[in-house]
Amino acid sequence: MAYSDKVIEHYNNPRNVGQMDKNSTAVGTGLVGAPECGDVMRLQIKVNPETRVIEDAKFKTFGCGSAIASSSLATEWVKGKTVDEALEIKNTDIVKELALPPVKIHCSVLAEDAIRAAIGDWKKKNVGAGEQASAQVAVAAN
Amino acid sequence: MTVVAEPPKKLVCWSCDSENDADAQFCANCGKLQPYTPADYFAFFGLPRRFQLDTAALEKQFYRLSRKFHPDLYARASAEEQRWSLEKSSVLNDAWRTLRDPLARTEYLLGLVGIRLEAQSRDASDRAAENGTAKPQVVPPDLLEEVFELNMQLEEMRMAKAGGAGDPEVRGSLEAAKENFDRQLNASEQDLHALWSQWDHAAGANDGATQQAAQQRMVDLLNRRSYIRNLMRDVEEALKN
Repeated sequence: MAYSDKVIEHYNNPRNVGQMDKNSTAVGTGLVGAPECGDVMRLQIKVNPETRVIEDAKFKTFGCGSAIASSSLATEWVKGKTVDEALEIKNTDIVKELALPPVKIHCSVLAEDAIRAAIGDWKKKNVGAGEQASAQVAVAAN
Repeated sequence: MTVVAEPPKKLVCWSCDSENDADAQFCANCGKLQPYTPADYFAFFGLPRRFQLDTAALEKQFYRLSRKFHPDLYARASAEEQRWSLEKSSVLNDAWRTLRDPLARTEYLLGLVGIRLEAQSRDASDRAAENGTAKPQVVPPDLLEEVFELNMQLEEMRMAKAGGAGDPEVRGSLEAAKENFDRQLNASEQDLHALWSQWDHAAGANDGATQQAAQQRMVDLLNRRSYIRNLMRDVEEALKN
């Protein structure tokens, strides 16, 4: 199976690889995995508490080229968006942008999961600071 | 979900009209091949749905049935019998390949009770997207942390090896990692056998709660194994280069 040019480009020059302090209240961390393929993906966002804009994003992914490209693209896309705008990013957008074949769609799903998990983590940390997030509801429901 | 034994139906032979067990492959009276009706692999072999299986007995049964279903034997039979012999031969091969392999058999039986390992992650994502919540991970968070950490270490070792620095030392730590994964895979196989036995025992006693608990632990164990297998593959690759 051949990778699209965009996947190869992201794979060779991944954007925003790295790590942020996961204990910082401004940082939300999403660690997600797909057991069927053995991939793990960590995506972190740094949010401005005033504007709720995602000012920085980092990722580290262990997985196939499509998983790396999907998370690389996800960090590019969330930067500059508010957390609510970032929640609008759908895995199908990633599929389209990277021209992922059907067998690699789960990689884009993982990236979407990672964005949601990172935002959920950030919201949970900032519940006291006026953040009445769906994450709080989700936690209470558990 | 409990696996309830179905009420025994009867199969009436198309050739001599005598009654047979529902899963009979041949008529007990006239010996004619019976129609192929889609059945799960356990039913096909006339076995109860259990994780523990006598694979030596299964192998004998497989060879015996392979000979008896063989299309060559039906070269002069009716078109229908020819079709059944082909269908049964093909299902027989699939059933044998699946049931003889402990992990394939485990995944298959979990599938029969409604757990689709391949799809569980995707299903959880779909549900999360629908209610706009963060997806509950199908893998326990501490396992993800551990796998991530192991991957980080492995990457460091690989990079050190590629840089040629302290080669014997890096090799040593890679080999230690490989041994560690090997141990974990072996240990998980032992655990799996224990869970099989719990489930099978509970199935015999109609103890649905115990079956469900054992099923869930099997799923966790198989997920964990698939991560360890990947790490193992990466370690082996790093050692080869």
